[in-house]
Amino acid sequence: MSSTLPLSRRLRRAAWVALFLGLWAPFKIAWEQKIAHEQDFLRYQSVTITRELRDQLGQGLTIGVLGGMRSIVADFIWVVNVTQAWEDEQWFKMDGLINLCTSLQPRAVTFWDVGGWQLAWNTSVSAAHDLKQPDVLRRLRASRFWIDKGLEIYQRGIENNPQSWRLWAHTGLLYQQRLQDYRTAAYYYQKTSELPDAPVFYERFPALMYGLAGDDQAAYAAWAALWQRLTPEQRTQMEHIPTPPDLVKIRHLEQKLFIPKEKRIFPK
Amino acid sequence: MIPSLFRIFVIGRNTLIEAVRQKVLSVLLIFGLILVGSSVYVSTIATPGLDAAGLFDEQIKFVKDFGCGAIELFGFAIALLSTAQLIPQELHNRTVYTILAKPVRRAEFLLGKFFGVILLLALAVMLMTLAFAASLYWQETVGFNYVRDIYDQHMPANWQNNPQMAAQYHHDIQDIVNKVQDPQLIKAILLLFAKMVMTAGIALLISTFATSSIFTIITTFMIYLIGHMEGMAREVWLARGAETSIWQSGLTGLISLLIPDLNSFTIVDEILAGNHVPWAHTLNLLGYAEVYLVVLLAVSIIIFDFREI
Repeated sequence: MSSTLPLSRRLRRAAWVALFLGLWAPFKIAWEQKIAHEQDFLRYQSVTITRELRDQLGQGLTIGVLGGMRSIVADFIWVVNVTQAWEDEQWFKMDGLINLCTSLQPRAVTFWDVGGWQLAWNTSVSAAHDLKQPDVLRRLRASRFWIDKGLEIYQRGIENNPQSWRLWAHTGLLYQQRLQDYRTAAYYYQKTSELPDAPVFYERFPALMYGLAGDDQAAYAAWAALWQRLTPEQRTQMEHIPTPPDLVKIRHLEQKLFIPKEKRIFPK
Repeated sequence: MIPSLFRIFVIGRNTLIEAVRQKVLSVLLIFGLILVGSSVYVSTIATPGLDAAGLFDEQIKFVKDFGCGAIELFGFAIALLSTAQLIPQELHNRTVYTILAKPVRRAEFLLGKFFGVILLLALAVMLMTLAFAASLYWQETVGFNYVRDIYDQHMPANWQNNPQMAAQYHHDIQDIVNKVQDPQLIKAILLLFAKMVMTAGIALLISTFATSSIFTIITTFMIYLIGHMEGMAREVWLARGAETSIWQSGLTGLISLLIPDLNSFTIVDEILAGNHVPWAHTLNLLGYAEVYLVVLLAVSIIIFDFREI
């Protein structure tokens, strides 16, 4: 039943299609550019398939990424490859894979958060206790190397997700527990407490960190600021607790720093 | 106008019934439902040694990613397979002659067929979304148990009586509820559906001049892949300079002018990662998909109108 169309009819069809597409094409390009600009502004299109990324992914996973399955590919690498590298104690491979996952999904906080923790805690502790390395100094240097790697992951995570209280808090925790740099930890905890959805207890952390750093003036200022922010009801509630730790600290610092009575929160 | 719409509706309804009877599509849908449901299992393969809060974050991410990924994958397969055989099957079975011998225009026939595919996709997405919601509900229960275990194990025995601890507990529970019952997921499902419908539109256009279903499937799949790189081609084409060869310019121009930008729809990943995507941007993308679909249908109608059958 089917036969070849006459040339005039084919030309007419092609002309109609060309006319239609010719009219649509400029609108299409302009609309797509607008969407792309919106997405740039919202920081969505942060992944480009570079040759390096393609080499790391391999052919199969690259097709997955090109097919729009970026998050699944990242999850797959995380669940299968990162876990395997962790179990085999292949730390450099694990570091590379964590970076690959964060490159594929820079706005997924979990990858930054858990990735930083894996390197700064698990890997660095493992390196510090690596019995294959008899030299203690080398072990400590390796441990510090992985702490810095974890810190780098956290800091890049914060650059990509500045509103994530979790990343700010865990960077603070790293400075506090792994580097014993309490002043910097106080800065990160302060930032944490200013973010929406952060647990309320982080408000107290900067004061605690200044205390650990031995900076009693800064610690007192932080405690006092915290006290000033409380509502009268909250203050009454605090005073009814048998030995409220925050109030004990404020009283102790007021005595230790010889704060004049008229400037004290608790003159008595 | 109304009789025409009625004819489109009748053809669409019959297309849906035919599609539902096809074993391949039913099997695809069943596999889709299984995969969406199994995202709960995938989520249990988590990083060893994580604390409960980190574990929950990781698990909820996996459930969302794998659930929506399965909807996208199987929706794509259903859209592609069901549309690719619409016209070839009608021609092969010679049923198209019976229909077109009646007072049914070719455009009505084509639109009716496509309407049937949209109904099928809507049905498939609806069922897979229900399975996805069930997975999320399950994960929410797991999250509640995690939080309760943390408080019971690490807090003083009477923590419920401490107003600050009780408030923090409710904050943690609310955090889980916010992550699981995220209203943004509606946007993700709508965008996935729009992407499927666009894929079906491309397949329909190709099937209007293709002579076999295989050709339509392979070509649509290639366009789908290229569609995810259209943004890059467009950037190269718009920024072309003296060093750009005429071939590069021609190829990137052709891709930019003809192929839809499917990569824009990967903002679904951002929604699933918990980032805010405004409704205005979602509607912009849905509007783009809709207008592109109208163009695809219009070109399909022109080609099909001229086709010798």
